[in-house]
Amino acid sequence: MKDLITVAEFTIKEAIKRKSFIISMLIILAIIILGFNIPNIVNIFSNDEDEKTKVLIIDSENILGETQIRIDNTNTNYDYTITKENLSENQVKEKIENKEYDSCLVVSKVENQIKLDYVVESIMMGETIPEDLIESFSVQYTASQIKKAGLTQEQLQAMFTDFDVNVIQTDENAAKGNVLVAMLLSIVLFYAIYFCAYQVSTSITTEKTSKIMETLVTSTSPKTIVLGKTIGIGIVGLLQVIIIAVTAILSANTFLPAGSLEGIFDMSSITPLFCIATLVYFLLGYFMYALLYALTGSMVAKPEDIQSANTPVAILAVIGFYLSYFSMMNPASNINLFAAVFPISSPFCMPLRILVGSAKMSEVVTSIPILIICILVIAKVSIKIYSSAILNYGTKMNLKSAIKIFKSKEN
Amino acid sequence: MGLTIENVTKTFINKKAVDNISFEISKPGVFALLGTNGAGKTTTIRMMLGILKKDTGKITWNGKNVDRKSVNFGYLPEERGIYPKVKIVDQLTYFAKLKGMNKDEAIKSIDYWLERLKMTEYRNMPAEKLSKGNQQKIQFITAVMHDPELIILDEPFSGLDPVNTDQLKEVILELVSKEKYIVMSSHQMNSVEEFCDDVVILNKGKTILKGNLNEIKNSYPVNKIIIESKNEISKLIEEESLTIKNQKDKTYTILIENKSQAQKLLEKLVKNNIEIEKYELVKPTLHEIFVEKVGEN
Repeated sequence: MKDLITVAEFTIKEAIKRKSFIISMLIILAIIILGFNIPNIVNIFSNDEDEKTKVLIIDSENILGETQIRIDNTNTNYDYTITKENLSENQVKEKIENKEYDSCLVVSKVENQIKLDYVVESIMMGETIPEDLIESFSVQYTASQIKKAGLTQEQLQAMFTDFDVNVIQTDENAAKGNVLVAMLLSIVLFYAIYFCAYQVSTSITTEKTSKIMETLVTSTSPKTIVLGKTIGIGIVGLLQVIIIAVTAILSANTFLPAGSLEGIFDMSSITPLFCIATLVYFLLGYFMYALLYALTGSMVAKPEDIQSANTPVAILAVIGFYLSYFSMMNPASNINLFAAVFPISSPFCMPLRILVGSAKMSEVVTSIPILIICILVIAKVSIKIYSSAILNYGTKMNLKSAIKIFKSKEN
Repeated sequence: MGLTIENVTKTFINKKAVDNISFEISKPGVFALLGTNGAGKTTTIRMMLGILKKDTGKITWNGKNVDRKSVNFGYLPEERGIYPKVKIVDQLTYFAKLKGMNKDEAIKSIDYWLERLKMTEYRNMPAEKLSKGNQQKIQFITAVMHDPELIILDEPFSGLDPVNTDQLKEVILELVSKEKYIVMSSHQMNSVEEFCDDVVILNKGKTILKGNLNEIKNSYPVNKIIIESKNEISKLIEEESLTIKNQKDKTYTILIENKSQAQKLLEKLVKNNIEIEKYELVKPTLHEIFVEKVGEN
């Protein structure tokens, strides 16, 4: 136990001291903070009150007056000016070219239908027709037409009543909540588990190639080395995830207007129970993939072989991820049960199912023991292969010799 | 008391790396495990330390099976390894803690050994900034800093310059004076000849010679005479039907088969009024015994 703590402690210290770790963490945190600040940054660069886009509304047929449409200049980025003058096409063009106005909106009536021509120098990327103006036109036009028809206030209110729309699902375990949160969680879980686990393989191969192994295995047992490393890298990974999550939450609360996050994500499903379940599945998933990577890492003799040796594990992880993704997209499919209990996919799939409320208790109590049994089996195989393969400095060990080692009684 | 290797065998795929070897290290001092490249020295050491499992035989330390828990041993492997990016003090502390020392003990011992091997200035440097020889000295510290009773040094002098070699030899002699059991593996005979009491010579996994070094050497008759003379004596030597193995300036190394040949030559030189500055009867060196034995096998 003392040795296990020593190996884990050394692994943690070395991991967090690495320049690559510090730089990548700083970049990720900077991206998060920057991401939540995009609305503020946009506001800084966008036009302020005095620099609103100047729009000239040309209403030579007095259509607006006739329909009692009022143009409101407040709460908009456009500064509207209405003229009743009958301007020619060239005159309109001139006003824009002389920068007198940024754009012109020509209102006309063709066969009892209001026609709007939006004249602008060029439609640049991101620039669109002022939608609030068009919407305002549309609403006010409808209102004035209704008024013309002589409807009472009650009749009008009845026409514009908002509908209270609710979805009621008949299946007790049917998916609820925001699919956006689930998708985000699925991606975060996959990358966190996959990249943390991958580091175990890199760490073992680095030790093999630096020939430190022989000193190491005469100082402590191979089991302690594999488990110590796995725990150490896992703690660093978890720490990374926590730092990223805390930064994201703090940034959202600090930089975004209150309530804006709730408008995008449905946070009602983020319960303490869900957080605990996610942590459990993250740790179990990490241990399973990390021990698989320990196995492939110890079979490799040279750093250039690491990629090819790790490919089978990467394929398993991707299959696991897609199974969970498919399960999320098709909540009623039968493949869900398989994805929920199959150990390569359950660490990605179960937190999502719990989040959207479609997970059954039976799936939780089945998937966790299956994962634990799977981890124990993989740990046994990995430690045995590691013990035999660590002094192999020659060529990459193939699957046949790995199976032979596992079957042998020695080591 | 000591290390006993009994009828140990190890076979890798279709190759017998160690074939039924036995020897005993019963008293403190340096025991030499010698052999050509690929003779089975490192495999024997790895089995002694429990890194490799033996196929047959028994390896015990004071009657108990050798493993990390039962024996406090130190090991300098042939494959030199070090964490290149990690500070010297940090990696030595890591290994010291794995060897059961607490942090304070570890730091005290590390500082003593760095001072002893004149390496204090490298204490807080990453290992990759050290020369190969200095990295090797750091590995030597890893092997001895926890004050082990059994120390196994696999090719300790390979890659060291003469100054560092002498420094390491001095430390080994100091460890011998502290009654440590040291197993030294090498294929450089002259470097171990000056410390070792007992030797085992392996060739292709088999023991071809073992015993006390002095006894082995004494069992070999004188086979050379070294004569230093200002006179030219080549002709006189040839007249006695002897072969000059080497001539450098006025020093002649002459091969003989028995002592009477040496006596006859001496009488002849005196008779011819040759001025002799040095006349020495020489027994074969460990190197020569090794080459002869390996040649026989």
